[in-house]
Amino acid sequence: MPKTHSTLLGVTGGLLWLMLALIAVLFLLVIGTGAALVAIWPEIAAEAKNSQVFLDAATMRPQLFALLGLFAAVLAAALYILRKLQALVASAASDPFIPANAGRLRHIGWALVAVQLLALPLGSVARSIAVPTSQFADMGGINLNGILSILLAFVLAAVFEKGAAMRADLEGTV
Amino acid sequence: MAIVVKLDDLLHAKRMTLTDLSDRIGITLANLSILKTGKAKAMRFSTLEAICTELDCQPGDLLAFEADS
Repeated sequence: MPKTHSTLLGVTGGLLWLMLALIAVLFLLVIGTGAALVAIWPEIAAEAKNSQVFLDAATMRPQLFALLGLFAAVLAAALYILRKLQALVASAASDPFIPANAGRLRHIGWALVAVQLLALPLGSVARSIAVPTSQFADMGGINLNGILSILLAFVLAAVFEKGAAMRADLEGTV
Repeated sequence: MAIVVKLDDLLHAKRMTLTDLSDRIGITLANLSILKTGKAKAMRFSTLEAICTELDCQPGDLLAFEADS
């Protein structure tokens, strides 16, 4: 393998670990926010009312819990995707054209579909509690980049399947 | 498989070992073993040519077709 490729793979591997760490931090944040919603709700409600971002700060606690739950699910999907990517990068160092990698890419594709599906209720819940012009109301919903990455993952899975079949053919060739 | 590789017979007739052949034609011993034991799925023309050149034979001497019974 050319040296530049192995360097790139190394950098990618490092970035993936960094993103895993970021997801761990975000998980802790979600848990911390959930705990705060339980423990110091009156203070949070007062603060939210002052921010003028929310329509009815006093009654939005269930929706905030729902948002946190959806966030946690998105983070779980992201964690799953990153672990699969790590396995892909690890196999790319030797021989990436194996049927397992086609399966991994297909799983990544489905996880991305799950993220897009979770983004829909996330967006509608956020819009239901926030002032329409606020940034808070902009989150979630259909994302063109997300759909593009789903297509890319499935196309790559098909490509890897073909590559693995060709590699298997070549291995029996003398 | 219906195609039989007769590399063993040819080597025997030429008093040559698989290792000798591997050294002379530059194909790994592992790959030649796969060919000899009939486990190969395909064969390159270049491999065929190298073996025929070294063993001074025709492709038909190396390969034979036997109908599955």
